[in-house]
Amino acid sequence: MDCTTNSPAKGRYMRRFSVTMLLYVLFLVLAVWFFVHRHPTGPMAWVLALLPSLAIIGQIVAFGLYLAEEKDEFQVAMGVKSMLWGIGGTLSVTVTWGFLENFVHLRHLDLIMVYPIFCLVSGLAYALLQWRYR
Amino acid sequence: MKNRLRVLRAERGWSQADLAQRLEVSRQSVNAIETGKFDPSLPLAFRLARLFETTIETIFRDEEQAGQSLPSAESGAR
Repeated sequence: MDCTTNSPAKGRYMRRFSVTMLLYVLFLVLAVWFFVHRHPTGPMAWVLALLPSLAIIGQIVAFGLYLAEEKDEFQVAMGVKSMLWGIGGTLSVTVTWGFLENFVHLRHLDLIMVYPIFCLVSGLAYALLQWRYR
Repeated sequence: MKNRLRVLRAERGWSQADLAQRLEVSRQSVNAIETGKFDPSLPLAFRLARLFETTIETIFRDEEQAGQSLPSAESGAR
């Protein structure tokens, strides 16, 4: 039995992640709908624009809680390593894109793409680490 | 870090998963420690020592000290 691939801490993380992901989709749909159909202004526009990012911040907090609650130090090390790969990959992609954007007029990269890039790179790194230590 | 986990485990007829369950860690963790790819923290090393009813030094080999002890042993013999 591989008893800890799903440790209690990982189970809690998955639940928190699912909730924040659900909230993200909900807030995003809500914000897009309001901006398309109701054209909000002032504080209402600010609140609606911030809602999806709050859900993303919730996801980051959920991962931080997982690292704090996980008792298996090897799993924590894998989580931290994959996050470092994610940070390194995101910084590399965004800074390279920035220079290309300035000098050769590459298409503008929206800042909202930074988090998906981070998730993609850290997710790939986590999968690779899982495979290495399988 | 080299260790005798595989031997100690085999003596008791435990699989990696059995040891993982007793330590409350993942089988991956046991595999990574056993193959020397991951060095456990001091608390986990103590848990391993308690589980195998031995000392940390019996399980893990301090390679630096092992390398140094050879010349001093030779010089002591002279």
